[in-house]
Amino acid sequence: MSAPAFGMHLADVVPFNLPSIDYRLIAPILILMGAGLLSVLVEAFIPRRGRRPVQLIVVFVALLAAFAMVLAAAGSRAVTAEGSIAIDGPGLLLQGTLLLVALLAAMLMAERMVDPSGDAFAPRASTLPGSEDERQFTQRGYLQTEIWPLFCFSVSGMLLFVVSNDLLIMFVALEIMSLPLYLLAGMARRRRLLSQEAAMKYFLLGALSSAFFLYGSALLYGFSGSIDLPVIADQITAKPSQSWLLMIGAAFVLIGLLFKVGAVPFHQWVPDVYQGSPTPVTGFMAATVKIAAFGALLRVLYVALGGLQWDWAPMLWIIAILTMVVGSVIAITQTDIKRMLAYSSIAQAGFILVGVVAATREGLASALFYLIAYAFTTIGAFAVIAMARDSSGEATHLSRWAGLGRKSPIVATAFTIFMLALAGIPLTSGFIAKFSVFTAAIAAGDTWLVIVAVLASLVAAFFYLRVVVLMFFAEPGPETATVAVPSVFTTVALAAGATVTVVLGVVPQPVLEMVANADVFIR
Amino acid sequence: MNVYTPILVLGILAFGFALFSVTLAGFTGPKRYNRAKLAAYECGIEPTPQPVGGGRFAIKYYLTAMLFIVFDIEIVFLYPWAVAFDQLALFGLIEMVLFIIAVLVVYAYVWRRRGLEWD
Amino acid sequence: MSEGINLGETIVFWVCAGLATLGALGLVLSRKAVHSALWMALTMINLAILYVANSAPFLGMVQVIVYTGAVMMLFLFVLMVVGVDASDSLIETIKGQRAAGVLLGLALGVLMVWGIGSALAGVAPAGLERANEIDGGNVQGIARMIFTDYLVAFEATSALLITAAMGAMVLAHRERWAARPTQEQLSKARFLSGEHPGNKPSPGIYARHNAVDTPALLPDGTPSELSVPRPLRARGDVRPVDHADMTEIAEIEEVDAT
Repeated sequence: MSAPAFGMHLADVVPFNLPSIDYRLIAPILILMGAGLLSVLVEAFIPRRGRRPVQLIVVFVALLAAFAMVLAAAGSRAVTAEGSIAIDGPGLLLQGTLLLVALLAAMLMAERMVDPSGDAFAPRASTLPGSEDERQFTQRGYLQTEIWPLFCFSVSGMLLFVVSNDLLIMFVALEIMSLPLYLLAGMARRRRLLSQEAAMKYFLLGALSSAFFLYGSALLYGFSGSIDLPVIADQITAKPSQSWLLMIGAAFVLIGLLFKVGAVPFHQWVPDVYQGSPTPVTGFMAATVKIAAFGALLRVLYVALGGLQWDWAPMLWIIAILTMVVGSVIAITQTDIKRMLAYSSIAQAGFILVGVVAATREGLASALFYLIAYAFTTIGAFAVIAMARDSSGEATHLSRWAGLGRKSPIVATAFTIFMLALAGIPLTSGFIAKFSVFTAAIAAGDTWLVIVAVLASLVAAFFYLRVVVLMFFAEPGPETATVAVPSVFTTVALAAGATVTVVLGVVPQPVLEMVANADVFIR
Repeated sequence: MNVYTPILVLGILAFGFALFSVTLAGFTGPKRYNRAKLAAYECGIEPTPQPVGGGRFAIKYYLTAMLFIVFDIEIVFLYPWAVAFDQLALFGLIEMVLFIIAVLVVYAYVWRRRGLEWD
Repeated sequence: MSEGINLGETIVFWVCAGLATLGALGLVLSRKAVHSALWMALTMINLAILYVANSAPFLGMVQVIVYTGAVMMLFLFVLMVVGVDASDSLIETIKGQRAAGVLLGLALGVLMVWGIGSALAGVAPAGLERANEIDGGNVQGIARMIFTDYLVAFEATSALLITAAMGAMVLAHRERWAARPTQEQLSKARFLSGEHPGNKPSPGIYARHNAVDTPALLPDGTPSELSVPRPLRARGDVRPVDHADMTEIAEIEEVDAT
């Protein structure tokens, strides 16, 4: 043991070098974390009735402030926090998108009009489903306002996830993003057992994917002696022979991320979780987790594993094909609209993967555009699902949607726009997104992949259009769901989702230019 | 001598003493057994049969366990910080205070919402 | 073995390694899950001692605080929430599970022997002095990493801890929708209800069966229903009164007197 340590004088101590952190660049993350802390304090000290309005102010102000900071940082390219955070074009673009989509999702979560007994969340998630306690809490109008701090932390994790430049911080961000979502998934007001089962499945499979990611990170560290993405890239080029540590490590990290993306064969959690979660949470999760996970996936592939492209591209090729085909084909057989959209989100992940596999600047730009288009469409679609109801809650069975277009033409039209966009019909954002992904893939030489993708989109178009036909060409019957009149929250979210979907389809040029300017990761 | 040897010797002594005392009691004490004395308790409440599936504990124990773990992890970070306190200087103190405040916030939440009360 | 190992360290190693192995065997061989968990705690504590003896104090502390403390705690609580007595049935639910388990276990063993063997044979260790010379100790080294290079990750971890505590509260904390009745209110309610306000007769009479499941006997020798808690009665767990017991107790008292 080092006995002299006890006799050391203060003057002998050499202080550590302070880390250099650009607080301006990580401000969006700090703002959301601060908002999370503040809203925990609100939960602690504000009386029950006052919590909801204060929470809403905290959340919306934080989201807008963070978005302003992202705008202020636009054009920055810097690596900060001792190399652990990389602020660059794709990172900032995804952060901005995440914040806007989260804003819409927060509006859906804040909705209190469509369900006569409160919002979409159980009054107290700790009560047993169907118990006297639950009834009493419902009757007294309790609201579980803890959803707001959880929401803030989840968003802050996503913001960190897309700019993390080493595997450790990426893992921490992954967990910060996921843990609140596991909780939120289990807090539905209606069909609570289904919701709790969804949360359980999401948690267990999410933990499994985290374990994959962590183990892969450890192996990559064993290979390169570092967890920094650029250093791993340097080591890959520096070491002539490729070791199995690198191969298995890279594969495990990618599996961990593909789990979050919902790519086949790591997609089993998606349908159950999408169906069971409270619909606003499903919308939030479907849109934002996809953005965040693809952001991290792209960064790992382009920054760290760029030198391995010839190894991962064939693997992702197969996964992309499987994802598109399985997602589209199984979606046809679904009779529940939330489950159908779950499989549709799997298929959409496959289309985005087509752009990822291209591994060119155009490929990256097209994947970014696809993510933006997909996120706004998805959040809008789930806003509509939250509104189509009967007395026992949401009417999610497809047969209940028959004739909805005659009963509530405006909402049905909005849903039609979303379905057309997801199917990739011209004049919607989905068409431009698919078109740019496919052109990028053809330019990169993946013609066969694009042929499969086009076939899969044709299959997918069938079930999207089937809903449209069902809504407008069937007579409304007694079973047809009623569209609840929403408050300004859902109205704004729905309108914003529809507007972005149409605008990106008609005048996509500004956004296309934006993604084209943001198509290089910083190294 | 290794610096850990005294600890080891102390451990052996403690173990030996415990073993010695327990064995000694067996030799010196009087032994008169009957059925009642061999029961789980000589007097007082006899164990009642467990319900099928085993006794289950209330979920509130889980809350306590979770809270314990949260503050346990906090302590793990405190240890290297305390050891390297001099090198970390003021910046380290600020970092740790921020961290502790963050965890303290949730402590305030648990406390205010009566999570610490055994109700 | 290299020259740096003295007698004390050798003794510590053999004692702790033996106990750790014993704990590991106990973990696998115990029938009851709680016993397994306690055996595991033994293994973990001994591993912690070995870490400290190998000049890795941080690892030792983390082993005690996190694994023996937190993780074991969680294990035990999960076991208790699931049910203490739940011992696994030995019937295979998936065919060939046991054979596959043995095979995979052997494969893992081979892998570990191979991994550790190649680490011992092919690699020249840099040595503790080299590793510690930068910061003056491995705890200081960890401190520098956590509080400078990975500062953001460290501070962000607090968000995880907050989420964990909050999640536990949201899912497991039962809130009251009405104020908790005070003792005064409870007492008034009891008297106003019109039922007998006093204590019910206590169960059991004699030492051998002074248990909650043994009814008290009324003067005429019949058992008193009221003396046994209602849940036990509903479950059919009431012990029948055995008049032979009383004679046996008299016998025991005679034996003790002699």
